[in-house]
This record gives sequence, C-alpha cells and structure tokens, in this order.
Amino acid sequence: MSDDIQKVIIQLPASAEYVDIVRLNLYGIASKMGFSYEDIEDMKVAVSEACNNSVLYAYEQEDGLVDVIFEVGADALSITVKDEGESFDKVKASGERMTLHDKELSDVQVGGLGFYLMQALMDEVNVISESGKGTVVTLTKKLHLSEERV
Amino acid sequence: MNTHKSEKFQATTKTENGVCTVYLRGELDLSVAADFRLVMEPLVGDSELDLVINMKELKYIDSTGIGILLSILKARHGMDVKFTVEDVPPQIQKLFDMTGIAKFFASQENSH
Repeated sequence: MSDDIQKVIIQLPASAEYVDIVRLNLYGIASKMGFSYEDIEDMKVAVSEACNNSVLYAYEQEDGLVDVIFEVGADALSITVKDEGESFDKVKASGERMTLHDKELSDVQVGGLGFYLMQALMDEVNVISESGKGTVVTLTKKLHLSEERV
Repeated sequence: MNTHKSEKFQATTKTENGVCTVYLRGELDLSVAADFRLVMEPLVGDSELDLVINMKELKYIDSTGIGILLSILKARHGMDVKFTVEDVPPQIQKLFDMTGIAKFFASQENSH
C-alpha cells in the first residue's frame, strides 16, 4: 500500500441545487474506501454544511464557484470546500460550541448549528477565512478498518 | 439499501381527528428550505390542530431544516399548542440529539 494521496476535484456553481451532487460524489468515494454507513452519513452532513456556508455567505447575489477537493489517503479522507467570495465571519462569530443543550426554547436562536455539526461529526476541521479572499474549509475523517483489506 | 440515491423532496399533509400530519420524503436541505417553509406556514399558525411531522421516508436533513423545525417549535410553544415528530430515522435522531433540539420534542411528548 502506498502513502500517496490521490485527489478527486469537482467544481460546482455556488448554488443550493448542486450540494446534493457533492453528497453523491462523497458517497461514491467514501464507500469505495471502505467507510462504514454511519461514517458516510456523518461526512455527508458535515460536507453539506461546509457547502451551505459557501452558497449562503460567499457570493451574495453574484454567481460564483465552489471547489470540492477529495483527498483519498490510505487511512483517511479529507474533503476541502473552497470558495473565493467573502469570508464567513458570521459563522465563526456565532461560536464554536453553539448548541441548544443548555438553552430554553425562548432563548434559542435559529442558525449557527452548521459549524457545530461539522466539528461534532468529523475528526478534524480546519477553517481558513481571509477577508476578500474566500474561505477554505478542510474536513478529515479517519478510516477505521476492522481488518486489513485484501 | 438505496441511501446514496438522491430523492426529490416531498411534503404531503393529512388531517384527521384534530391532528395534522406532514409526511416528508427525500432530502430536506437548503435547496428546498423555502418550499418546506411554504408548506408549514399555514399549518403552524393553526391552534385548533396538533401538528406532527412524520420522518419515516426522510433521508437527510441539514442545519437549515433543523433551523426551520426550531422556528416551528418556538412559534407553537408561544401559542401553547403541540408540535411533535414521529418515526425519526436513527441518522436523523443522532443529529437531533447532537444539536439539542431533541429535548424540545421530548418535553412535549410528556405533556397533555
């Protein structure tokens, strides 16, 4: 087995109608790598949230593009979602631990759950956001195989 | 199991004995959030009916969908009327538990 990382890159319009295409590609790549059903479901949610951020915050009303880069390693899958729009400070400002657990219904604010879900569902989350240069979110999930693959 | 297949989002409504049940199918994400809001809006304000969402055929929900459920919970709570979910698939229940929205549904099941 080699340690080489192989890349699959797709570029899509920054539009909500294309986020399911990212999920379909993720399913194909992750199942081929041998990830469990539950891990794939977790990644689907996390990657969609990263794409949602680009769709919602990056380009305002203008057309834009989102790059999704799948990096297939021997024991991990990294997915990078990259846009070149405005940075998503809004999302970061809403706090990394934004959950509803310690809140009353009347105090709850709708929104901000996406970033929390990414962190909760992946092994590693890296966000690089530079004003005017866009946002790069990298999500990593480690592959735990019950036995060596043949 | 055909979970990788993208299925078009659908919401169908059935009202019986003072209970309105909305059956969801497919993937509830950002791309259909506006459609879902449109279906729910007139139902949320009706204090004569108990409101239930059936999720048996729901394949996927994102934070946008959970956000809409949360705003419905708030609105119904303010009117002091019921809003619950049923037949929640395990992968969606996991997200409800993780985000903390689960406790707001649970607290209503015990009331009345």
